[in-house]
Amino acid sequence: MTLRFAISNWAAWAPGLTDQAAWQHWLRHPSQPEAEAGQPTLSEMPAMMRRRVERLGRIALQASYWGLAEQPSCPVVFASRFGDISRSVDLLQQLAQGETLSPTAFSMSVHNAIGALFSIARADPTSYTAIAAGEETVEAAFTEAIGQLADGAEAVLVVYYDEPLPAPHQHFLPNLPDNFPRAWACRLEHAASGGISLECAPHTDATPPASRTADIEILHFLLSESTAHLHIAGKRQWRWQKHA
Amino acid sequence: MQALELEIKNLVIESLNLEDITPDDIDSNAALFVEGLGLDSIDALELGLALQKRYGVAMSADSEETRRHFASVRTLAEFVTAHRTK
Repeated sequence: MTLRFAISNWAAWAPGLTDQAAWQHWLRHPSQPEAEAGQPTLSEMPAMMRRRVERLGRIALQASYWGLAEQPSCPVVFASRFGDISRSVDLLQQLAQGETLSPTAFSMSVHNAIGALFSIARADPTSYTAIAAGEETVEAAFTEAIGQLADGAEAVLVVYYDEPLPAPHQHFLPNLPDNFPRAWACRLEHAASGGISLECAPHTDATPPASRTADIEILHFLLSESTAHLHIAGKRQWRWQKHA
Repeated sequence: MQALELEIKNLVIESLNLEDITPDDIDSNAALFVEGLGLDSIDALELGLALQKRYGVAMSADSEETRRHFASVRTLAEFVTAHRTK
């Protein structure tokens, strides 16, 4: 039997969706959020550290701080399919033009930079993981978190963040309306009873086209009354299930 | 020299993205790194790059001499005055 988890706290941030109520409403009645600009204040982080973080990183960190809230610290799994790819594209273009790269931009462009900064800013040496696993990134992150729970962690915070791909990569993803800059965080604990399970099985049929971004669909499932969610990704299907 | 010091203070603020800090907050004689403004080694590299782009000064990344030039805004202004190529 796979380990069942419960979500003891969650948080999310996107332009125009800045609190739980706004997210709950939007997940049930999805439409394009009105605001495309804006970034969180991230007042929890000292200004001398915050200055190095670009918009997507700020969004991820805001969800992380809110996801931990006042509860005791715990291991954090940061997951993003593409991470801060805008910064990497900028750096690659500068390299191609023979320009010297900004050391700050380079240090912040690596996938675990956000986790490292979260650790340094809070002087918290707990375990941090950074994951990218294509369209199964959320499942990979939850698998890692479930593994850490099974290994004895009291709780694990999963943070997911992404934004639309910048040019010239944008045609590698379908243009889904809910792929806006966003981050969400769930604090996972062992379920005393009931709980949520995640299982993986082979998939042989064709993959149906997605109408919503995978992470948004999963967040919707986790926060709704819905009892099951199936995510098909190539040769695998991931079965999310809530138990009574 | 004062005009150049102000220019360098603005370059520090701009290149290191220092929120809520104005040139008036930076003492030309105060330490830039660790103490004083509290900048770190990545800031040193970033500032070196900005100085190189703006004034065409060359410096080695990790020498005692470079450390001395980076001590304060005033020592940076003296260094730029002596070595600028643009």
